[in-house]
Amino acid sequence: MTAITTRIDPITASVIGGALESIATEMGHKLTRMSYSSIIRESEDFGCVICDAQARQLCESPQSTPLQSGPIPGYIRGINRRFAGIGEQWNPGDVVIHNHSYYGASHQPDVGFIIPIFWEGELVGFSATTAHHLDLGALTPGSCGIVDACDAYAEGLQLNAIKIEEGGRRNAWIWQILRDNCRAAPLVVGDMEAQVAAARIGAERFLELIERYGVATVQAASEDLMDYSERMLRREISALPDGTYSAEGFLDGFPDHPDPAYRDLRVAVAITVAGSDLTVDLTGTAPQLDLPVNMPLEGTVDIAIYLTLRSILLDTTRHDEVPANSGLFRPIHIIAPEGTIANPRFPAPTIARFCSGNIIADTVMRALAPIVPEYVSAGIGNLKVVAYSGQAGNGQHWVYMDIHEGSYGGRFGKDGLDAVDTLYANTRNNPIEDIESHYPLRVTRYELNENTGGRGRWRGGLGSIRDIELLADGGFSLEGDGVRHPPPGLFGGEPGSPGGVIVFADGAEQPLASKFPYRKARKGDRLSLIGPSGGGYGDPTERDPAAIEADRLDGFAQS
Amino acid sequence: MRVIGVDIGGTFTDLMLYDSGSGAVAVHKLRSTPDDPGAALVQGIRELCANAGIAPSSIEAVFHGTTVATNAVLQHRGAVAGMITTRGFRDVVHIGRHQRPLHHSVMQDIPWQARPFVQRRRRKVVTERIIPPTGEILVPLDEDEVRQAARELRADGVDAVAVCFLFSYINPVHERRAAAIVAEEMPGAFVTASADIFPQFREFERFTTATMNAFVGPGTGRYLDRLERALADEGVPGKLHVMMSNGGVASAQQAARKPVTLLLSGPAAGVLGGVWAGAHSERRRLITFDMGGTSADIGIVTERGVIEASARDTEVAGYPLLVPMIDIHTIGAGGGSIAFIDDGGAFRVGPRSAGASPGPACYGLGGTEPTVSDANVVLGRIDPGRFLGGELKLDREAATRAVAALAEKAGLGLLETAEGIITIANASMAAAIRSRTIQKGHDPRSFVLVALGGAGPLHGADVADSLDVPEVLIPAVPGITAAMGLLTSDIKVDQMRTAFMVEGAIDAARLDGELAEMEAQLRATLEADEIAAADIGIVAGLDCRYVGQGYELRVVLPTGRFDAAALAEFHVLHEQEYGHASHDPIEIVNLRLTAVGKRPTIERLPVGSGTLAEALLGHGDGIFRADGELRTFRTPHYDRARLPLDERFAGPAVIFQRDTTTLVPPGWHACADQAGNLLLTR
Repeated sequence: MTAITTRIDPITASVIGGALESIATEMGHKLTRMSYSSIIRESEDFGCVICDAQARQLCESPQSTPLQSGPIPGYIRGINRRFAGIGEQWNPGDVVIHNHSYYGASHQPDVGFIIPIFWEGELVGFSATTAHHLDLGALTPGSCGIVDACDAYAEGLQLNAIKIEEGGRRNAWIWQILRDNCRAAPLVVGDMEAQVAAARIGAERFLELIERYGVATVQAASEDLMDYSERMLRREISALPDGTYSAEGFLDGFPDHPDPAYRDLRVAVAITVAGSDLTVDLTGTAPQLDLPVNMPLEGTVDIAIYLTLRSILLDTTRHDEVPANSGLFRPIHIIAPEGTIANPRFPAPTIARFCSGNIIADTVMRALAPIVPEYVSAGIGNLKVVAYSGQAGNGQHWVYMDIHEGSYGGRFGKDGLDAVDTLYANTRNNPIEDIESHYPLRVTRYELNENTGGRGRWRGGLGSIRDIELLADGGFSLEGDGVRHPPPGLFGGEPGSPGGVIVFADGAEQPLASKFPYRKARKGDRLSLIGPSGGGYGDPTERDPAAIEADRLDGFAQS
Repeated sequence: MRVIGVDIGGTFTDLMLYDSGSGAVAVHKLRSTPDDPGAALVQGIRELCANAGIAPSSIEAVFHGTTVATNAVLQHRGAVAGMITTRGFRDVVHIGRHQRPLHHSVMQDIPWQARPFVQRRRRKVVTERIIPPTGEILVPLDEDEVRQAARELRADGVDAVAVCFLFSYINPVHERRAAAIVAEEMPGAFVTASADIFPQFREFERFTTATMNAFVGPGTGRYLDRLERALADEGVPGKLHVMMSNGGVASAQQAARKPVTLLLSGPAAGVLGGVWAGAHSERRRLITFDMGGTSADIGIVTERGVIEASARDTEVAGYPLLVPMIDIHTIGAGGGSIAFIDDGGAFRVGPRSAGASPGPACYGLGGTEPTVSDANVVLGRIDPGRFLGGELKLDREAATRAVAALAEKAGLGLLETAEGIITIANASMAAAIRSRTIQKGHDPRSFVLVALGGAGPLHGADVADSLDVPEVLIPAVPGITAAMGLLTSDIKVDQMRTAFMVEGAIDAARLDGELAEMEAQLRATLEADEIAAADIGIVAGLDCRYVGQGYELRVVLPTGRFDAAALAEFHVLHEQEYGHASHDPIEIVNLRLTAVGKRPTIERLPVGSGTLAEALLGHGDGIFRADGELRTFRTPHYDRARLPLDERFAGPAVIFQRDTTTLVPPGWHACADQAGNLLLTR
């Protein structure tokens, strides 16, 4: 190993590293507790980060989903680019709201609030929170399942580096625009206020840290901590054999679309390992569409790749937790040809990009599988996200977002995880007892989909079945994937089972595609979602007989 | 009245005897007997009584802190448990919140999937459905299905059953009826209904708590039963009481029904011991800091009492747990925590611990990795000749070798490295305290740090320094504070009910009616436990939130009945807790009532004294940082038992007693007070 160069002693670096992490933890804790919508307080679809003045991430809140924290440096870079374009700059007392998918935002509903931190007149960092909002005025209610948005404008408000507070003065008119343009505005605006409050706490704490240790020490420790994280990842990449490893995956796309170009969309991944660097080349991935399965390269594609590689190479069951900072991005390089779904051109719509990103993540894992067979899972089951909505008697909209989980494929020595969020996201479901207390909805079933895991020496994880009935007239929209393509098996394991979507209305049962735009529904209609079950790992004939007997008793037997 | 407190830990069983007539106190310590923890308890009582020259027949009560239920969860050794749940929802306890416990891991196990309390084959579903908001019965309970399920479970060898229905926290009638049927069909089985443990919304967490209760129920019951019989055989007539995680004690029978309320039994007793010691020196805002060999427990106490955890934040062994408990924050930093440089060059301390065997290098039992204790030896803060009252001679050379090897890897000097180990350990403890004080709106500068455990008094002043806490209090016997805490606790029972009401439409008469009903039930429970009506105190509260939020904060009702001032108090609390308050309407979510039954508790410990000259044992070389550099100070060593009372003296100094060592760094002063506490101040 080459000698390690550091700027300050490792003891101070360790102490400051711990302090940074506890700042982000406090931000996340407070945001959860103060927020209103279940998508933040129960599903934890938010992120909290402190960055340095160069927009490099120093820490992130350990609660919250990684897909929300990871993109934050990109938000700040996007704001900087926008500021440069219009001759604007960061000033003390500013609070910026931002969600522009072509300026670093992960996608339009994930709104960032960014507070610049000044010390003795100089910009020393940023405190930022992001969160998924229920509704930002898209063409139909909710902020998921907007799968018919023809371009970025149809996705709703585009907020590109807007100073919602300027020099300490609150810009009431912008808050008014938000209230006027969002359905379910009280929830949305309440959540935004909570985001600002949490970001303020982060800024305050970062300044306290600087007061205590001095700005030079904090900056030196930050550099050392980023170098450390980079070094840890480079060590793992170096241990891999040099070479190029490829895999492909498929999205359902829009199965009902007349044009075949909208169906079975290909994701191509070629990973080249060269020394301690790793390049992910997405050349060959399907061309962009005028429907919103396109992914922002910065904010979705890059995060899907970083997080998947990290979860494989620096798996926390084998490694002590490595600080979640920008150092982890340095050894990884991404090539994504412009004009593909992995690097679309403005104003291609991107709002429903979540499931596409999961295919990128899964395909990256499969490409690496031959060289790290003991660290990966067979094919994962993709997710579905539904927006249920309606209007209460007083005309007020209600919107409820339900995230329906996928599953993991079998793993070396272990069966797949059943019914979980996967790879680059890690949200939580909403308790049934919370849903039914707040919305005119009734959950009528939530169980594992028995006997569906892919066969293998280690079976794929089971997806779940979740049925929700409307207790009042309203509607729903869905974005999901994994209904046409079952999660692939690995090393002789068999594919898992595809998911499904069924609407029960007027006594009839209608199977639907994994994506559909807002459709009206009546009281008594029920939407049934079936999660895909993961692929098997290894030859099924090698499965332990005791495990086979246990599967039989528990209804986990393989299909 | 004579009472005994017994705290059974992993290594030692500590006992304390208190005679309320004479005020006499006796303590005893013996090795634990992990295979049959009760054996050490009974033997300890026998020996303690013999030492004190009293008859076991004069013991009127035994108070016990136990890890039996905790170990059953941690080691996953429990009953063959079954579950009966609402049709359509068989896998709520398997799917959980669909979140993976670790963000960045493909190879992780999920505790409730890899090690379920109830395997899927023993999860039965029955037809029934209750709906919000009023608990209306949408689908009546199919009693035949319940009976059938119970028979199948019995045939399968199940001896504990959890009954878990959706919305039972609003209307428990189906759960209770089903539990009664199961009890009929399975005589002798341990039956738990989820709402009877804790009627709180969020089905995964409530059901998991109920299945955990079933899993540990039979074993805990058998253990307590055996203990009661063994005590009777010893001729001890007094009742057995057990410490609960909420900081109260319950009769053994009560505790056996809800063993999940015992999971923090020991640490809770430790916090109470700290509260008791603080109160004797008129200190009421406390940070209890209990540092042992492998971990440190932190608790916060204000004028309003010990802070309780918000129910959603509590977990044991990775499983969520919905029961009232003291907010005890445990971190993996103790005297045995190992320091190392990892492959990326980061300097780390813990969470891996050298444990009791081989223990730190300085124990001379074969340990070679440097620990926090070794760093203390290298810096002259532990005297190798006086550890554990001189019973265990420490090996200074071995400690130095271990730290020197790390120093070479780190490219630092020996002393800088030793200091670094302590700095990092202290920083992680300070961060943990910060998360429970500053982050919750409490200013640590207005608190006293109570240092407990074998290692707490050694680190207390440094940790206090980094938080600007002005004073450290070291109780008379910090190493057995939990046993003492057991003798200071009152009998405590909690009850809660869900009662959704929004500001502007609050039915005060209904709330007061419910509160009165709850109060009557709790009083009856305590009176059944032979507590006189005059000795019962009631604390009432409301869990409130802004309409739409998902987490509540608790406000107190000083009169025990609804009072609109409580709602105003909520805004203040929200501002304090989160730094932000809103104008939104407030929603009442739960009614909370706690009944406290006073009982004779230990009053004070006998205090010895002498002069500083008498206390002086000798001098040693202590190494401390002063004016930015590490320097050697000629450091007096004192015997705590002979310190003068009310005489302030300056550090550096090291103060010895059998169960711990107290460090007074340069710049700090120490003073032993009349209450038997040692107070350190700047």
